[in-house]
Amino acid sequence: MPSTSLKVALLGAGLIGSDLLVKIHRSKWLDCTIVAGRNRETVGLRRAAALGYSVTDGGIEALLEQQDRYGLVFDATDATSHRLHWELLAPLNKKNIDLTPSGLGCMVVPCVNSGAALLQSHVSMITCGGQAGIPVLAALSQKISGIRYIEMVTTASSSSIGSATRRNLDEYIETTESAIRAFTRVQNVKTLVNISPAQPPCNFRVTISLLVPELELNTVSGFVQEAVKAVQLYVPGYRLLVCTLTERGRIFITIEVDGRGDLLPKYAGNLDIMNAAAVTIAEQYALDQSQHPNGKSVSG
Amino acid sequence: MDNNSQITISDPTLRDGNHAVHHQLGREQIRAYATAANAAGVHIVEVGHGNGLGASTLQVGLARLTDAEMLETARECLTHTRMGAFILPGWGTTKDLLTAMRCGVDVVRVGAHCTEGDLTERHLGFLRERGVEAHGCLLMSHMATPERLAEECAKMESYGAQAVGIFDSSGHYLQAEVTERISAIRSAVSVPILFHGHNNLGMAVANSLSAAAAGASIIDGCARGFGAGAGNTQLEVLVPVLERCGYKVGIDLYQLLDAADLAERQLMNKVPTISSESLVSGLSGVFSGFRNRVLSIAAEQGLDARDIFFELGRRQVVAGQEDVIVQVAMDLKNSGNCSRSRGFTDQPSKKATFTG
Repeated sequence: MPSTSLKVALLGAGLIGSDLLVKIHRSKWLDCTIVAGRNRETVGLRRAAALGYSVTDGGIEALLEQQDRYGLVFDATDATSHRLHWELLAPLNKKNIDLTPSGLGCMVVPCVNSGAALLQSHVSMITCGGQAGIPVLAALSQKISGIRYIEMVTTASSSSIGSATRRNLDEYIETTESAIRAFTRVQNVKTLVNISPAQPPCNFRVTISLLVPELELNTVSGFVQEAVKAVQLYVPGYRLLVCTLTERGRIFITIEVDGRGDLLPKYAGNLDIMNAAAVTIAEQYALDQSQHPNGKSVSG
Repeated sequence: MDNNSQITISDPTLRDGNHAVHHQLGREQIRAYATAANAAGVHIVEVGHGNGLGASTLQVGLARLTDAEMLETARECLTHTRMGAFILPGWGTTKDLLTAMRCGVDVVRVGAHCTEGDLTERHLGFLRERGVEAHGCLLMSHMATPERLAEECAKMESYGAQAVGIFDSSGHYLQAEVTERISAIRSAVSVPILFHGHNNLGMAVANSLSAAAAGASIIDGCARGFGAGAGNTQLEVLVPVLERCGYKVGIDLYQLLDAADLAERQLMNKVPTISSESLVSGLSGVFSGFRNRVLSIAAEQGLDARDIFFELGRRQVVAGQEDVIVQVAMDLKNSGNCSRSRGFTDQPSKKATFTG
């Protein structure tokens, strides 16, 4: 671990937080100094303790008491809790990466706008569909003018969608649509969610359609491939399955995400891409910090 | 089996029927049919895009009219008949429900895949809080056991659904399967039970009778069966047959027949039949609404539509997953697994397919 590694805290030790911990552990730029949950007996906290991490069941209060131990917090709890966590953490000048769909914070997609995000203290990983679709959508919107409409269908296995998400599909849709508008400047945007009951569970996928003026397929597929390669640097299982262009000017793209299977099953690429993107951003903060060790403090 | 029971008829001619015409029903058509159904005394007329509120998309097809335009047009004509709408969480949102409410909707069906009843919680609650009648319905219900369907229906009742039940979205059921399922649901809930049939195996009316006999009191039917795939339960057949079995329905027969004649003349390009593809989709348990998309992709790619349907069934693809049809077609082509393909050559480069 380089001495310039960034000390991080993990808030939330559920399945997503536990998978995130595996990714943090693998990173040579991040050093997790505290894992904070609510209940010492949960699987996540016990697992973290067994791996030698310093754990606490004191939640956000424990993080506030031990603020010298970390410079960045991953919040893998839930949207409502995150709102409170951010209010309490903001004055402490810590970096805050929000993995919940709270809609707070600067929206970031690693291969698209991490440079701008680094200027912020509070970043949001948007949604799984956002992380999967925006790299390609942003690339196409930069290279093609006159995009009239963008539609994205997110398909995830029923086994990978928890009860909170099920009650908050509307928020997922709204957050994802806002993010697509912000990253592409196309206003006419629609997001749909399909939850697949197939057994064995199907992989997470997004299908993107864009209505565009006349183009050549080779041009489009070149842009798409470039964007896909950029994501593959931090999500190796990100795969382009279909890229077609119809005579009526509709680009049709299907991308599937195989998770790494760190702790989450491989089909849960929706959760894996969020965690991988979050760790990538944290590493960029770490790199930034190591290059500017006396860096000016950044307000959120 | 109380054959004196009242059956409520919910008629999605102007919603499910939209699947058959690529969601292109226009104002005049809606006005004409809604007027006729209202005159006949149909209890509920459901209106909208085939996939419900907010579903006008490239994924399943853009509608000619907006949700509001369809509902407003029908509302003017439905002076006695209640107006219904349909929503799939993940496709429509509470904003779409507000639009429907502004247009005067009386009852909303909130649908989910049959194993995912908890997806309806939010929208059922939203409707109930605002005093709108809300039903919960389970789609592609052949994909779950009777016990599971009963559990999911019980959940929807607990979320506030004032009626719950099942759709035979692929027209896959035989009568005993319907009886088993409706009976299981009957034992698990106390609200009225609904059944929505499709006719891919020629069983829709018979299945609807079995549903009624097992305790369903809300039965769906469309004029001439106008609906997705091989069509729905044929409404003007269903109603007199129910009455002949002793149920009370209370819809005027002649006016119902007039409505069906009008539907045939003005709504549809052809009266639904059980085509070979529809039969295959029913046998393989694939959503009836895929028919048009499968046929066009099969023609484009020089594949046998029947192969695509069987493969979609094998992959347990559900309603709304039209994007998978493209991929299945590609996989069939690439694997050379198109024993019955007609050997069409690819079109030139503008429609060329590239895979990463």
